[in-house]
Amino acid sequence: MDQATPLIEARAVSKAFFGNPVLKGVGIALRPGRVHALLGENGAGKSTLINLLSGALQPDDGEILIDGKPVARLTPASARAAGIAVVQQELSLAAELSIAENIGLGAAPRRFGMIDYGALSRRAAEICGLVGITEPLDLPVGELSLGRRQMVEIAKALFRQPRILILDEPTSSLSAHEVAILSGLVRTLAARGIAILYISHRLNEVQSLCSHVTVLKDGVVTADQSLAEVDAEGLVRLMVGRDPGEVFPPRGTPSGGEELIDIEGFSAGMVHDVSLRARAGEIVGIGGLVGQGQEDFMLGLYGAIDASARRAMIGGRPGPFAHVRAANAAGLAYVPADRKKEGLVLPHSIASNLLLPSLGTLMKHGMRDRAAEAGLVARLAERLTIKGDTSRAVQALSGGNQQKVALAKWLPLVPRVLLLNDPTRGVDVGTKREIYHMLRSFADEGKLILLISSDTPELVHLCDRVVVFREGAVAAELPREAISEEAIVGAAMGLGAKDRAA
Amino acid sequence: MKGASFTERLLRNPPLLTFLLVALVWIVASLTLRGFGAYGHLRYILELSAVIGIVAAGQTLVILLGGIDLSVGAVITVTAILLPLISPDWDPTGLVGIALALLIAAAIGFMNGVGQAFLKVPAIIMTLAMATFLQGLLILVAGGSAVSVTNKAVILLGSARPAGVPAGIILWIVVSFVVLLLIHRLPIGARLLALGANPLAARLSGVDVNRNSLIGYTLSGFFAGLAGMLLLGMNRQGYVGIGDPYLMTSIAAVVLGGTSILGGRGTYAGTIPGAILLVTTTALITVVNASAGWRSVMFGSLILALLLVSGREARR
Repeated sequence: MDQATPLIEARAVSKAFFGNPVLKGVGIALRPGRVHALLGENGAGKSTLINLLSGALQPDDGEILIDGKPVARLTPASARAAGIAVVQQELSLAAELSIAENIGLGAAPRRFGMIDYGALSRRAAEICGLVGITEPLDLPVGELSLGRRQMVEIAKALFRQPRILILDEPTSSLSAHEVAILSGLVRTLAARGIAILYISHRLNEVQSLCSHVTVLKDGVVTADQSLAEVDAEGLVRLMVGRDPGEVFPPRGTPSGGEELIDIEGFSAGMVHDVSLRARAGEIVGIGGLVGQGQEDFMLGLYGAIDASARRAMIGGRPGPFAHVRAANAAGLAYVPADRKKEGLVLPHSIASNLLLPSLGTLMKHGMRDRAAEAGLVARLAERLTIKGDTSRAVQALSGGNQQKVALAKWLPLVPRVLLLNDPTRGVDVGTKREIYHMLRSFADEGKLILLISSDTPELVHLCDRVVVFREGAVAAELPREAISEEAIVGAAMGLGAKDRAA
Repeated sequence: MKGASFTERLLRNPPLLTFLLVALVWIVASLTLRGFGAYGHLRYILELSAVIGIVAAGQTLVILLGGIDLSVGAVITVTAILLPLISPDWDPTGLVGIALALLIAAAIGFMNGVGQAFLKVPAIIMTLAMATFLQGLLILVAGGSAVSVTNKAVILLGSARPAGVPAGIILWIVVSFVVLLLIHRLPIGARLLALGANPLAARLSGVDVNRNSLIGYTLSGFFAGLAGMLLLGMNRQGYVGIGDPYLMTSIAAVVLGGTSILGGRGTYAGTIPGAILLVTTTALITVVNASAGWRSVMFGSLILALLLVSGREARR
């Protein structure tokens, strides 16, 4: 099948932005019926390549062929006409419109020049059945969780009956259950002869789904081969360009440190009646399907949303906290999942972002001590290996480095409890590894780390204990010996621990 | 190559760009228009700029934090009318009246902040409603007639020229110093900027949104009051509508100085030349013998043109 004419092919394409080469003579060929993985660290040029293939950008050099014929100038419209559909990492749905309207947006069937809502809902329902969307189709998309919106995005791409489907990190906000549906769907589509380009940072997914891989590193192709010939470590080596070492740090022995969280009957947002005790030196994972109250739980602890509790001692102070500053004073720090919207002030410099939480602590004669601030920024940048000029806007950094800034800015306050909401989403393997080792060293220093994660291996291999949320309550609390992907997914899906033990 | 990088740096530094623009206009006008370059005339331009500059100080803070204050014109009028009425006769210095008037101005700003922070009324609506309310109240209080000032301190402020420098300009220099310090050397400045650029991220980073909004709007009211006082001193009379021209000009000065109207980016260092540029262009338009209607049309177009030329609002 590999010998069939590629549906779309890029030959020796190059692209530079403001003189910085992003792609240098890259080639890729998507063949019918093949699931093709595209791997690379953040900043390797994956997004640029996708934009070239979908007509959003024009190559500076090289050519793009569709069905073996060179295309002079691929535009988004001609790419759509050629059957290319892209599911972007950043969702592009209109929150006010219904699921069906979003799916049909721009391609809705018409009758007498008006949208034929009957035909639209019939076809949308068909596709929703395929991707496992069970919500009523007239529900506004804004009411769906991030993971469900991602599924709608995929349905929207399928609505146009593409021949070439590009999935850019489709699973980064999906639950295990949704990932399983998507995997099945990808296989079905490939069997129908659709060419699929699959971008993901999750190597186990790539290995189970894809048959061919292209690896990008610094804008050049370092591998274009069948996936059968290479194992996970080999892939990481190709992406990183060096031996990756252990991705997950070894776990220490639990030291039985000071109890930093002791809550009983804690409720916040959709979370109700949660009890949890956690000690300094622990990494406590919080798992579950997406949107089961994990985030509300953290925001409630952090004083960012209203919370109540029968009993709550957090960071040695009586809680729950009425506002964020009280939580900060008790030694809590929160790193949000959406670093662009919630974690960072994107247009501001790296330095001002790093200084924001500790403003007012470095003062001289009643004014900000510029020299001390510069020293602090330099130390933080060094400790977290944030390279380059810290007066650049933080939006110029890659996702992984942005995440490091979002984490680093709290360190000057010496937090004792770190609340981390999916800190490695969309972060490349090299930076993930750095973050894991950093978190372990924080725990060894005597901090308590609460970690929400949508990446199950992370919960299994990094955490000392995992709490699984389901419908706003704790479905299971797994001690270290009991942590496994099956146990976490099982509890998340509502299977009781006893059922599985039997 | 070096020249290109210089131009680039210049374009990325709106305060400097505006300063150079002012200098250019002054030089060209001085060479072509008789009397424009006279010391007395330039000093007069700066004196007029001081009023705008002081109102725009508060406006800069509020715009930086992501809001806008549409009540500054009304606050100026309130101060200019109330100050003569509330200055007590037993105080020969007039300082008590000044303190009272500034207190009222700051309290109006504080109420704007409360509406915005706690009642969650959008800044545009809150401050516009406040302006309308105040204008109605003034008509009831002052009954439409002009009020003459007898307050000694205010008259002094409007007329004294220690070492040839008008007191209003000295007041502006002090205000500039304080506001620049506030923005660049005090934590609140960085907090206002963070708030304006991303309120959610700022809140999750431990910035007290309500407290900082309150401070911003209160300061805006205070500076508008200060400007109203200076204007009263220069004019010797307060009347309904005296502050009206300063709403538009204060916002224009802020934006001309390169501060983003969306908040989160900018500095008062740009507002200063922005204010001077506005007064200079008004002076130039006056030289051209046009009717009041045409002057207004020209002034509006000029502001628009200046903003387009400097291409300030970078896309986000």
